[in-house]
Amino acid sequence: MTDRSLIRNFSIIAHIDHGKSTLADRLLEATGTVAKRDMEEQILDNMDLERERGITIKARAVRMEYTSVSDGKTYVFNLIDTPGHVDFNYEVSRSLNACEGALLVVDATQGIEAQTLANAYLAVDAGLEIIPVVNKIDLPSADVDHCREEIEEIIGIPAEDCPAVSAKMGINIPDVLEAVVRDVPPPTGDENKPLRALIFDSYYDSYLGVVVYIRIMDGVLRTGDKIRLMSTGATFDVTAVGSMEPFGLQERDQLSAGEVGYLTASIKNVSDTRVGDTVTLAEAPAAEPLPGFKAVHPMVYAGIYPEDGAKYGDLRDALEKLQLNDAALIFEPETSTALGFGFRCGFLGLLHMDIIEERLEREFNLDLITTAPSVIYEVDLKNGERVMIDNPSSYPAADEITAAYEPIVKASIITPTDYVGGLMELCQDRRGIFIDMKYLDSTRAELHYELPLNEIIYDFFDALKSRSRGYASLDYELAEYRESKLCKLDFLLNGEQVDALSFIVHEEKAYARARRIAERLKDNIPRQLFEIPIQAAIGSRIIARETVKALRKDVLAKCYGGDITRKKKLLEKQKEGKKKMRKLGSVQVSPEAFMSVLKLGDDE
Amino acid sequence: MKLTNRKPLGLYIHIPFCRSKCEYCDFCSFVPSNSGVVEHYTDALILQMEDWSERCRGYEIDSIYFGGGTPTYLDMKHFSRIMDAVYGNFHVTRDAEISTECNPATVDFKYLKALRKNHVNRISIGVQSANANELKALGRIHSYEDFVKTYDDARKAGFDNVSVDLMYGIPLQTEESFGKTVSTITSLEPEHLSLYALKIEDNTPFARKRDKLVLPGEDAEYNMYMRAVEYLKTKGYERYEISNFSKRGFASLHNLKYWHCDEYLGLGASASSYFEGQRFVTTRAVRDYIDGLEIIDSNIDIVTACDDIGSKESMDEYVMLGMRLEEGVNIADFEDRFSLSFHEKYGKLLDEYVDDGFVIATPQSYRFTTMGMFVSNYILSSILDLGIDD
Repeated sequence: MTDRSLIRNFSIIAHIDHGKSTLADRLLEATGTVAKRDMEEQILDNMDLERERGITIKARAVRMEYTSVSDGKTYVFNLIDTPGHVDFNYEVSRSLNACEGALLVVDATQGIEAQTLANAYLAVDAGLEIIPVVNKIDLPSADVDHCREEIEEIIGIPAEDCPAVSAKMGINIPDVLEAVVRDVPPPTGDENKPLRALIFDSYYDSYLGVVVYIRIMDGVLRTGDKIRLMSTGATFDVTAVGSMEPFGLQERDQLSAGEVGYLTASIKNVSDTRVGDTVTLAEAPAAEPLPGFKAVHPMVYAGIYPEDGAKYGDLRDALEKLQLNDAALIFEPETSTALGFGFRCGFLGLLHMDIIEERLEREFNLDLITTAPSVIYEVDLKNGERVMIDNPSSYPAADEITAAYEPIVKASIITPTDYVGGLMELCQDRRGIFIDMKYLDSTRAELHYELPLNEIIYDFFDALKSRSRGYASLDYELAEYRESKLCKLDFLLNGEQVDALSFIVHEEKAYARARRIAERLKDNIPRQLFEIPIQAAIGSRIIARETVKALRKDVLAKCYGGDITRKKKLLEKQKEGKKKMRKLGSVQVSPEAFMSVLKLGDDE
Repeated sequence: MKLTNRKPLGLYIHIPFCRSKCEYCDFCSFVPSNSGVVEHYTDALILQMEDWSERCRGYEIDSIYFGGGTPTYLDMKHFSRIMDAVYGNFHVTRDAEISTECNPATVDFKYLKALRKNHVNRISIGVQSANANELKALGRIHSYEDFVKTYDDARKAGFDNVSVDLMYGIPLQTEESFGKTVSTITSLEPEHLSLYALKIEDNTPFARKRDKLVLPGEDAEYNMYMRAVEYLKTKGYERYEISNFSKRGFASLHNLKYWHCDEYLGLGASASSYFEGQRFVTTRAVRDYIDGLEIIDSNIDIVTACDDIGSKESMDEYVMLGMRLEEGVNIADFEDRFSLSFHEKYGKLLDEYVDDGFVIATPQSYRFTTMGMFVSNYILSSILDLGIDD
């Protein structure tokens, strides 16, 4: 057992791309936890997708030992790497609760961004000691002094003497290690009290079952203990406890108050081990769970269908496998007359959805059609019932509805002042309500808006980036449900409604969007033997129409020198292409065309 | 009157030489760097005929077609040697249709006269357009006036079966200019006309500058074709195949062999054959073709692709090719050939296109309407198996 005064539990938090994972790499290296020759980039981000995109999707933890140059004592560092994206805010907050301190990494060339602030606030809320670290000082455009000033002025923490490093080049890394020893408080807690351990992540391992990452707040946990999860009351027998080393798990006899580690207990399902839940002993339970637990609910829904209908079973298997490691992913079977059999999936946000889609396609080799993302609407019916709608096709008819509500988020945008005008216009256009604007300094401002979530989930982020040349950053959190004038927009091809194309939209937006999608359909549906009318409708009212003209010419005029085989190959290719087509009503539409409509952005 | 038991066979002879290569051309043709290549190629063709002579003893040649490239690039010495070899190695019927393609301005009266002497009785002149701008856009080396000269020379040389090739859908062309080309050409009264749509093939200069080409577009091409079909009818030209029109009795025998799934042997580089149940193609690489035939024990196989046509495939081909014809597919002929109900296999699928005016179904036959012909790929790719499971 480690002397508690020699333990330092901390996280690294940062805006995306400010160098969080690279700093983690350097710390592992500098403490000798990972030999330089074994080092690969972003060692904690071991998912291919994480490395490619430079993001952290799952929280991870690693134990290091460090002998301080100032007092010669050997300390145990538990570094908890957290996801940086707004979709995973709750996970981040739980990870932070497992720590006493946080390294706040700020890019010396960019300064403070929206997620720097959001994460800093989360850390403050969790009562952590924040140690600013100015990174990327090797870059020519780095302005360390300005960055320090920003940290002091905007976040309000002293930064005058904070470490200024280059994680990439390995400059001043020892400063960070010493700051951790000096500034992160040792954990408190009482090992004589009943066990209370905070779950901050878990993953499924096919040999061990679910591996649960925990921070022991009070008490002691040993192999063989019978534990109880306080939110569900489920009990399990602990098969092993230990610590997380960079290249695997290290079993230990016990974990005691203040320590970070893992437990296994033949748990089959990650959804049994919710992030934020409290582990206690079944025989001697704690009276109260740790505060702050909540069940996370999906914010965004979309239908996911296999391009090839025969792959439905493969898609289900793939979703089940992903769910083993991702309790936030939910799905249930759904059928669409246009797309066949698929699944209605719920995600924490757009990034989460994007990641799941990409993992399904890459790791499971599936070609998918994803319907337009939808938020959850609440609708009051004439019969007095209130229903939740996550799928446009189940939206009630207008005459059954007395009131409809949509989720509103509080959004914070940090941007160079040059782009404020353009971004305000964008927010206005997305039905945003201006709250206030603060100048962070002479060059940057923070905008606060209330925005309907359904305006954000299409392409808001892309529009934000394009209107600010990539400089603006966004953070948001759900505020409330608010009454709104919503309507369901349907599309008809050749007179037949295509369920997969329907979506919910604010009345004011309906006409413009209907026109754009109708145009897009016209451009992407290949000409067929008959003329295809495209209509957009609200209820029985047609609000936009376009026409795909009939195919006039599709003929091989010349069969040169009797080369019949070539002609046959051509028809074969054409037939193959037709096989991939989806029949939307009586109209053939290729998956590419379908996706181009669903991915429609307003700025295009 | 047939006096022998020999089976009919068409002969296609490919001459891959041109004076200059047109920018849309995807055929096996090139500008030879020296006369030695032509000499070697001629030798190789003759060797190939000698190789086939034995296997073709049971056949009689009732059509010969020289295609290219530009067959008339050959000087008469080479042309005569090839013709002599044809007659020396195969049984050619007395009334065989013997055609050659010819580019305007590559031949003079003397040459045409010599062709007639060498048994050639049909000539197909590729003018493509009567409009100077369009000819230039295609990269043709001749003018319309050159064509008229060649046409007149051919008549004077005794050709009483002349075909003219025209193209639509070419850069700068309009519905009006194409109409004018068609009427100008028909006023010369050729016996046969082919109207081909320009297709931009990959790996041609046209494909590389596709975006810069001013093309008439799908709807204009449709109108050009429709109007030409109507116009030609009034001038006494009957369409017998999607792209081919003739005065009565002048349909090309050789051409029809392709659509009737009859046998033909292709000689020369890139030539296709349909012979004894196999479709095969000779290499496009002229060097390999020559070496493969001339060098004894060379390991070069001049056949690059060979398919055994199974019964299922041959049914598909029969319908795919037969539907190109004005007369369409004759139900009785199909059922004789394959011992299978046409209606079960294809008829009921084609029936779906009758009401909308793409297909005409009678108790005897199925055929496309003009509108149906023009979207025939779309319909055929839906109704044929083409070796793909549904």
